[in-house]
Amino acid sequence: MDMYDKIVLQLPYKAEYVSVARLTTSGVAYRMGFDIDTVEDIKVAVSEVCNRIINVSGNSAGGYEIRYEIGDSRMVITFASDMDRAGCIFEDDEEGLGMSIINAFMDEVEYCPDNKDFILSMTKRIEEKS
Amino acid sequence: MFSELTVRTENLKENAVVFVSGEIDIYTSQQFKEKLYNAVDNSSGDLTIDCSGLNYIDSMGLGIFVGALKKMRTNNRNIHIANIKDNIKKLFVITGLDKLFIIH
Repeated sequence: MDMYDKIVLQLPYKAEYVSVARLTTSGVAYRMGFDIDTVEDIKVAVSEVCNRIINVSGNSAGGYEIRYEIGDSRMVITFASDMDRAGCIFEDDEEGLGMSIINAFMDEVEYCPDNKDFILSMTKRIEEKS
Repeated sequence: MFSELTVRTENLKENAVVFVSGEIDIYTSQQFKEKLYNAVDNSSGDLTIDCSGLNYIDSMGLGIFVGALKKMRTNNRNIHIANIKDNIKKLFVITGLDKLFIIH
């Protein structure tokens, strides 16, 4: 399946900018045609990942990247970080509320792949109207 | 551009009502925690959190709700959540927290 457009947002490890991630997410999601409830779900899922990244970063210098890839029927959101950190950022949060919310709101989630190019990728499909 | 949050508390005899407006996220969560915990400490009955103005919350805010409830439960007090929007209530249901709080 082809992904046509890519939007990339780079943010510092600062809590005050997570709202910017939500604004960008809602803009991209509305543009794709997601309904208002789904847009809200995606915004929360994105925030949950941002929260985790910032909490793990300890507000260090540098930042992280959110990549939005848009296809005909799905949006893939990928997070990358310049943190030099061993292990998965969610490894000690398996029972956390954050992961429950991400898993509930997104159709597919890939946590901490062996490929170090990204730390998390999640997908939301547009539901076909009957 | 940054998240905004307003928290106002009214004490009605022994019960307090906390009015929350705006967004509870990683940036505003500490402010919310301080004000909510202050309301818990300065009241003796049940606590109501009026969420009619609350537009956004995630696990950061939910964790603060749970922390406040734990403090309340040490004295057999409850937290009531009033006027919650559907998108916010969905989070309580998904995380199972709707079973811990009294949601009106």
